[in-house]
Amino acid sequence: MTLEITQKEDQVVAKLIGRLDTAASQQFSIDMQPLMDNADKKILMDCTDLDFISSSGLRLFLALRKETISKGGSITIKGVSPEIKQVFTITGFYSLFIFE
Amino acid sequence: MENLILHNDVAEVPMLAAWVEELGEELGLDMPEVFQLNLALEEAAVNVMNYAYEGEGLIKLSVSSNGQEIVFVMEDEGKEFDPTKVKDPDITLSAEKREIGGLGIFLVQQFMESMAYSRKDGKNVLTMIYKKK
Repeated sequence: MTLEITQKEDQVVAKLIGRLDTAASQQFSIDMQPLMDNADKKILMDCTDLDFISSSGLRLFLALRKETISKGGSITIKGVSPEIKQVFTITGFYSLFIFE
Repeated sequence: MENLILHNDVAEVPMLAAWVEELGEELGLDMPEVFQLNLALEEAAVNVMNYAYEGEGLIKLSVSSNGQEIVFVMEDEGKEFDPTKVKDPDITLSAEKREIGGLGIFLVQQFMESMAYSRKDGKNVLTMIYKKK
């Protein structure tokens, strides 16, 4: 699992590559700290190359969403596969984020 | 179809994923089916890894199939725990009100056709049936 974070004008772009399973989530929670620090900004989660997510990954998405709510930022998610979209839908997470 | 033995260490989750991939090839499953099995079995296994044992312990996963259904039996020798009794999370809550966590067993139930628990000879035995499309 790789996380690439870049800043474009007022937007922070996070590109997620690989599998966000329980094993990868531990490292991801450390790697995503810059996103938590930038939770007052517009964050774009590019999930085009995200192959898999489990509940431990969803938990981190929710933690970041909560942070943007308290700091006044936003999260937009793009490029999710139909399988990952189904996971967001089944868990009620789909309505917690903006999808493009 | 070989059985899989995992230690109660989440670092071994990729071994489970590799096992499911192989199973998918063997049984001719499509990508969404492999994804769903990966997710459901990971959630069930991680639950045992995180909560069943005080120290080190093992998880045994066996599989059989009759073509239409795939039957998974997950066993551990940890403390007694019936995941079928876990209360569903409220998935209608806003992000502010949603609790972090509590989705694992819910996801197993969503993707498996059925999930049954028994306690046998000091073991937790979780039988999960997946229905092929």
